[in-house]
Amino acid sequence: MQKFAPSLLAVGLAAALVGCQESGPQDTKITINKNPYPSTYQPISASSTLITNATVLTGTGERLDEADVFLVDGKVQQVGKDLTAKADITIDAQGKWVTPGIIDVHSHLGAYPNPSVDSHQDGNEMTSPNTAEVWVEHSIWPQDPGFNRAREGGITSLQILPGSANLFGGRGVTLKNVPAHTMQGMKFPDAPYGLKMACGENPKRVYGRKGELPMTRMGNMAGYRTAWIEAQEYKRAWDKYDADYAAGKNPQAPHRDIQYDTLRGVLEGEVMIHNHCYKAEEMAMMIDLSKEFNYHAGTFHHGIEAYKIADLLADNGSCAALWPDWWGFKMEAYDMVQENVAIVDAVKNSCAIVHSDSDTTIQRLNQEAAKVMYSANQNGFDISEQHAIKWITANAAKSLGIEDKTGSLEVGKQGDVVIWNQNPFSVYAKAEQVFVDGAKVYDRNDSAFQAKSDFMLGQQ
Amino acid sequence: MKKLSRSFSLSLVAAGLLASGAVSAQSLAIINATLHTATEQGILESASIVINDGKITAINPDNVKADKIIDAQGKIVTPGFIASINQLGLVEVGAVSGSRDAGDDKAGIDFDPSLAFNPRSSLIPYARKGGITRDVITPHGGDSIFAGLASVVDLSGSFESVLQNQVALVVHLGERNKGSRALTLQRLINKLDEHKTKQSKKAKKDDAKPSAEDTIMAKVLNGDMPLLISVSRAADIVELIKVKQQFGVNIVLNGAQDAVVVKDRIAKAGIPVIISAMDNLPGSFDSLHASLNNAGILEKAGVKVLLTVGGDASHNVYQLRYDAGNAVSYGMSQQGALKALTSHVADVFGINAGSLEVGKAADVVMWSNDPFELSSHVNKMFINGVEVSTESRQDKLRERYTTESNMPRAYTK
Repeated sequence: MQKFAPSLLAVGLAAALVGCQESGPQDTKITINKNPYPSTYQPISASSTLITNATVLTGTGERLDEADVFLVDGKVQQVGKDLTAKADITIDAQGKWVTPGIIDVHSHLGAYPNPSVDSHQDGNEMTSPNTAEVWVEHSIWPQDPGFNRAREGGITSLQILPGSANLFGGRGVTLKNVPAHTMQGMKFPDAPYGLKMACGENPKRVYGRKGELPMTRMGNMAGYRTAWIEAQEYKRAWDKYDADYAAGKNPQAPHRDIQYDTLRGVLEGEVMIHNHCYKAEEMAMMIDLSKEFNYHAGTFHHGIEAYKIADLLADNGSCAALWPDWWGFKMEAYDMVQENVAIVDAVKNSCAIVHSDSDTTIQRLNQEAAKVMYSANQNGFDISEQHAIKWITANAAKSLGIEDKTGSLEVGKQGDVVIWNQNPFSVYAKAEQVFVDGAKVYDRNDSAFQAKSDFMLGQQ
Repeated sequence: MKKLSRSFSLSLVAAGLLASGAVSAQSLAIINATLHTATEQGILESASIVINDGKITAINPDNVKADKIIDAQGKIVTPGFIASINQLGLVEVGAVSGSRDAGDDKAGIDFDPSLAFNPRSSLIPYARKGGITRDVITPHGGDSIFAGLASVVDLSGSFESVLQNQVALVVHLGERNKGSRALTLQRLINKLDEHKTKQSKKAKKDDAKPSAEDTIMAKVLNGDMPLLISVSRAADIVELIKVKQQFGVNIVLNGAQDAVVVKDRIAKAGIPVIISAMDNLPGSFDSLHASLNNAGILEKAGVKVLLTVGGDASHNVYQLRYDAGNAVSYGMSQQGALKALTSHVADVFGINAGSLEVGKAADVVMWSNDPFELSSHVNKMFINGVEVSTESRQDKLRERYTTESNMPRAYTK
């Protein structure tokens, strides 16, 4: 019980020597800096841009034909027909399609970058089943050529997560997909942190073979519960310190523990759970676990069996970030159905997402979403492009807690926009121009807007 | 919001399943089709194709005579696609070691995993959704640079699916986790040298019974079986071109991310290249030139290009046609991409299928629309002239969980 209290010995000594020091004059308040590696991201330019005559999928479920999108000061200023705005740059997008910038909620770019040499394996701190203390942003190599390839596929924001070896893998970070030579230069301003958790085969395999807990799925559950109990104690200790200090006392601050800082962040609703979890029965237990310890279960990632518990996910307000068709690489990935996303999506209050977890399919999330849409429509669903685009835009933004900033072409949202050469649900579709905060960051027809990683420069 | 209670009417495909088996002895014609022949004939509009006894017996005859006639109503009909470089039927679940039979530490030149081929694998009906009717299965191998022998299987699900053995000897070259790539190339050269010497001695005195390795290497040296070599770096490819010239062997390159750097040499040497069209990241210092444009660049240089699926190619092989669509989007010709999934694979591995022409095996697929598009699906599929279904375990699971029932799901079958 005393793990997070001030050292017993120290407290005992202090009490014995000077009596009730807590009532003396207050020392400086100890506060934890929650943002020690702040974003330094700045939009590239602030020219106003008017995109005209496009088929616009807004990300809110609407489709506007022959419509215009006006970006001013990095924000969506207007969306509609025949806008008369005066812009620095006007793009005639006749015959083209416009969508919000694509968002991938599950990527390891930068942490498992290319080339995938041993020195670059920075995504899994496989030294303990609970490594909530690690932050994947500290592993990110911004020169990963994969960021550029992803941008060429329309990715404007993405969450980088630690791997799934551990029950608690560490903090994830949300990035703007802009070229930068520091991690902070890509960091999405004011996006909440994520915490990677993992169910199932991976943690029990990694630690079980070392003869350590968890060796089984029940070991996984025991590991989560033990950690949350300690996190609650840690939170109580800090809450008491804050309350006592506020009451004019002079309490001693609890010992700082960065592992439990992160778990406390979850308990306080500041850090969002991103839970690698494939199987229906495990997701159901993770939801109960979250209720046992009074936090939100967050987004389930991979969720091969999410379709079996679509109602439960929606009732809990949990997003499910899924592949269209990956399967069979391990036992917990055996029960794939190609309509998983569509079945999850069909329930009221659902939040279905198509994710990549891949440096290749992140380049084609539009095609990944299209696979689901067409498979589902072949089997009794009736899903439109304007609806399916939400799986890779608005719903993804919601999962990351940035839905008030990006993920749709609504007035006031960040100017994250993709112009496609045609219907993005075609295999032949390509992103032609990509904007982040109103600034053009990619142009397929202009090499001046085609970023190249330091690593690739000068290679022959 | 869509309702989950939907009626699942029998699809064309399911109807095909019921008819399956009944058509094999009958002749069959598909009329009013857009035939993508994968031959010099290209695309034939409003055309017909006749199938008899498992073979294609006529293309566009003056009078179509058949026991059964299907009106394609203008739909696209292609040869069944031929996948390669995967372990279909040799793996059920990647991480379940007991279900994996494509590799073995002791695997070498004579390792033939086709003996373990399981036609009842759940991967096979799923792969048919991709229009795939035939497949070149390849071993993972083991410690040796020689991974073993490739075989050709059909995707009928029958216990007679293994059609051709020893269609290629698989070799892994290029970067090593430990040691030098030079030694691996030397091992290949030494092995070819050793057997070349053996052959010339054997020509003089024909006594000892040849070993399995002797027989295999003789086929390689006689040009009857290609070396299928996984390699990426351009300099390694240049060395292999020398090997081809020195020993007169046939070589097929697999992976070959940096083949574009030496594309003209490869074209001149007549070496086919198998690539994943989606391979566009520098995974290592050997593959700095990986690009979505590579399939088209190699095609234009005159290289015979075959497409395979990257990553977990066994479970994801159905995506092959989408990869072809992307290759087209990035510069490959539509017909070239079709051939990269059909006739080029047939040419390289000696398969009598992969094109719509008289005498070829009747692996024929009718599509809802453009087979490379995400919106299309298989309407009808024939393997060796027999109609097969594309319904898979995945469809059963979907129907179980989207059908309303008062009973637990387990009763919905």
